[in-house]
Amino acid sequence: MTIASDLIRGHTDAIILAHLLRRDSYGYEINKSILSKSGGTYELNEATLYTAFKRLTDAGYITFYWGAEKIGARRKYYHITQQGREAYKRMQEEWQTTKQIIDNLLATED
Amino acid sequence: MEEKLRIYVESLFETAPKTMQIIELREEILQNTIDKYHDLLAEGKSEEAAFNIAVAGIGDARELIAALGRGRDFMRYTKEEIVQDNRRSGLLLAIAIMLYILSVLPVIILADTRYEEPLGVCIMLIMVAIATGIIVYRAKTRLRYDKQDETIVEDFKEWKHETNERKSLYKAIDAAVWAVTIALYFLISFSTGAWYVTWVIFLIATAITNIIKACFDLKK
Repeated sequence: MTIASDLIRGHTDAIILAHLLRRDSYGYEINKSILSKSGGTYELNEATLYTAFKRLTDAGYITFYWGAEKIGARRKYYHITQQGREAYKRMQEEWQTTKQIIDNLLATED
Repeated sequence: MEEKLRIYVESLFETAPKTMQIIELREEILQNTIDKYHDLLAEGKSEEAAFNIAVAGIGDARELIAALGRGRDFMRYTKEEIVQDNRRSGLLLAIAIMLYILSVLPVIILADTRYEEPLGVCIMLIMVAIATGIIVYRAKTRLRYDKQDETIVEDFKEWKHETNERKSLYKAIDAAVWAVTIALYFLISFSTGAWYVTWVIFLIATAITNIIKACFDLKK
């Protein structure tokens, strides 16, 4: 699955944004959902995940707030911004185009 | 077991700088690891196995800290601004040095005229003053290095930047004092012929530069 992993990793930002579009979430939950949606075959490593959070925060696509957990460490929740929604739309369109191109390139019939 | 996880995560960050950002990252990783650990327990893993799997997922914290550091803008200014600033500062310095060199000209030119020394020396001193002023102005108006993050590295960079700035200002003043001293020495010596005593000027100049240096050190 190495090729697929590289492909997926290239879309980390879009994957995180897509998850946050549904609801505010935190690192582990996002990674867990990625794992289950990929049928248990793909999981982001922590460095990739946290750098992505940092990148998206710096870009203004997401903001964060600390949860109000009573016990243990507090959770850092991420929230998508309007800019983030627009960025997601753009990435989604880009992916559709890319997918179409790759489909065409990989087609064996003329 | 949660305490063990906390100790493990904290040990990963032991050598990292204690900045807000790093501490937040540590808390975030810790909470996510604890969540993962509980999930693994719920799946029926033993405490030991759950701990090992959860911890293995974190990977190398150094990689994470390095990743946080990457992509940060150390400079607030654009490349063009920096280039422009360098050009302007170079030009000012060149003009100042030119003034220093040319400052002896009035004395030489006016030496054999009826105006003789007083006017020549006055013009020379004015030129030296202008040149020094330009250097001070240049040091004050250069783009400042602003702190982007509360890390030791940033503190050190800022400190170094400030020290360099102060040093260059001090050097400029020092150079000006010595230039004036040498000019005065020859002027007074030639005009009075009192060569046996005029060397005292150099002692006075040394005292003056040391006083200036002391002022700089005190300001720190």
